[in-house]
Amino acid sequence: MSTESIVDLTLGPLKPAEMAPARARRWRTSGVVKAAFLIAMALYFAVPMLAMARFAFQNVPMALLSPEKFLTGWSLSGLWTAVTDPEILAATKTSALLVMFAIALNLALLLPLAIVTEVRSPSLRPILGAITLLPWVIPPIALVVGVAATFRATVPWFLASDFSLVPFYALWAMPFTYRALDAGLRAISARTLYEAARSMGASLATTIFRVIVPNITAAIVAAAALTAAMVLGEFAFASLLLKRTLPTEMVNYQRSDPRGGLALALLVMLLTALALGLVVRSLRRRGLDVQTTGL
Amino acid sequence: MASVEMVGISKAFGSSVALDAFSLSINSGELICLLGPSGCGKTTALRILAGFEKPDAGRVLIEGRDIADDPPERRRFGMVFQDYSLFPNMTARQNIEFGLKVQKKGPVERREVIDRMIEVTHLADHADKFPHQMSGGQRQRVALARAIATAPRVLLLDEPLSALDAQVREVLRDEIRRLQLEFGVTTLFVTHDQHESLAIADRVGVMSDGRLEQVATPRELYEQPANAFVAGFIGTVNRVTARAGHDGRWEVLNRFVVGSEPGTPGSVATVAVRPEHIALDRGDEGFHLVESTSFLGPMTRLIVSAEGSPPLIVDLPSVDAGDFHVGSPVQARLRDDVRQVTVIAVDAGSSGLER
Repeated sequence: MSTESIVDLTLGPLKPAEMAPARARRWRTSGVVKAAFLIAMALYFAVPMLAMARFAFQNVPMALLSPEKFLTGWSLSGLWTAVTDPEILAATKTSALLVMFAIALNLALLLPLAIVTEVRSPSLRPILGAITLLPWVIPPIALVVGVAATFRATVPWFLASDFSLVPFYALWAMPFTYRALDAGLRAISARTLYEAARSMGASLATTIFRVIVPNITAAIVAAAALTAAMVLGEFAFASLLLKRTLPTEMVNYQRSDPRGGLALALLVMLLTALALGLVVRSLRRRGLDVQTTGL
Repeated sequence: MASVEMVGISKAFGSSVALDAFSLSINSGELICLLGPSGCGKTTALRILAGFEKPDAGRVLIEGRDIADDPPERRRFGMVFQDYSLFPNMTARQNIEFGLKVQKKGPVERREVIDRMIEVTHLADHADKFPHQMSGGQRQRVALARAIATAPRVLLLDEPLSALDAQVREVLRDEIRRLQLEFGVTTLFVTHDQHESLAIADRVGVMSDGRLEQVATPRELYEQPANAFVAGFIGTVNRVTARAGHDGRWEVLNRFVVGSEPGTPGSVATVAVRPEHIALDRGDEGFHLVESTSFLGPMTRLIVSAEGSPPLIVDLPSVDAGDFHVGSPVQARLRDDVRQVTVIAVDAGSSGLER
């Protein structure tokens, strides 16, 4: 992308030709600054990851690394040992189930809420937006301690199960998912669609399942994908509640095998990014716009 | 097809009053336009009729039956919105079918109705397209077909043409009227475009600030506006000073004419005069001066000015307007075929009795 086109995209209606030369020069300069900033940001994220990859896959200590040894010692054996570790496999299974249940619970709670708010009382939307942000305002430790204190006394078996994490995750994903769903609903003007369907005699259920939901598939999939990514990376709740999910198990594993552990972390990260990318791409190909945050 | 009666409807949103003792009755098979500037309450009136808003006071009757407690889906009304509101996941055909499926019509009957709708709205080439593959005019045709397909008791159109460009707007406007007459459906059409409403309505209701100012046929509304607001909102008017003669008629632009209210002899008032109701006479001694002319096709609009009074807007048939050039002196007079003028305001200090 040339600097010119960056300027065009970010500054909207102002075209360089319409601007005084001095101003045009200033915009172009700011384009260069923006490009430099982007590159710096990219390096900030890329360098640690490349370093991590080198450590994980090249069995040569940093002190001994020299240009002639650059290509020696690369191996996937650490990764292989990690992915075939029975504890890791069990944790992966647990996390996969957690992902599915968290998505199901999260959508079951938020989808009807978002739809009804949008079509019946849009004035409540800002309030709902604020409420769904609450999970991020309350620190995990406070949430866990509060819930644990309540449930240990009343239903002790609840916290014993791995799936006691599901409600936490469903809540914890709310800020993402509510915004994705809300953006999807606004993009299709859900309110007029709702009114059109109702005026033709459709019941609330028919309107929701035949008209609204099919038109926000993209938003629903985006919400689910964000929940999945969040669950696969969540550490605090699982660790505080002593559950063996993929993230907590990865930390454990890394203590005994740092190389394998890091290789595994890279793999999980790559697969998550890939899965999210594929979802977005397949939706775009179907002509569905994906807005994940709506912010 | 059904008659509609809205009686004494009031509705406020917070502190802003949208409708204030609004009453309107629509005869069976009639097309009524609600016309008014934005924020005058016309859309609120339509939404109350549709059941999407609850009035604070007043009653809505269909065929004499109060429908206050009927939810929208039980009112059997058809609605068309400004932004089309077609279901994006369905083709034109499926959109039209939706209401029929909801009504649990059998496949044969559905097919028949859909085919008829596609035919009358000229959508044969687009029946299997999705909304995003159609133009605005085509989408609004589908919306119209979809609304009429369910055989609604009342058809509600909320600014259906506002999002379309001028040419399509005019064609579709006439098509709406044709379909409305063909199916004989009672229709409420909300718009802020006076040309639209005058062109298709049986009667037009002019609204301002939540109140109905006047309900009348387009011709009545244009020729005998009930008050200053209606006169100013429908078409263009000149505000001309008039003086009452001894028989109560008003002297307007050198001619005595009957006013919408009689004048006490000698009193002074402001009356509304349409631009096409003024004729111009040429003459070197003319009291007025042509300031500008603009050719509008069949008509030519001239601005003429006179010392001590605001400029007059005059519309002449273009065939007669050729003689008047900028700067030429003219005499303005009220045309002989104007039988009545609307009195906008009587000057309070001018009883005329002292003269």
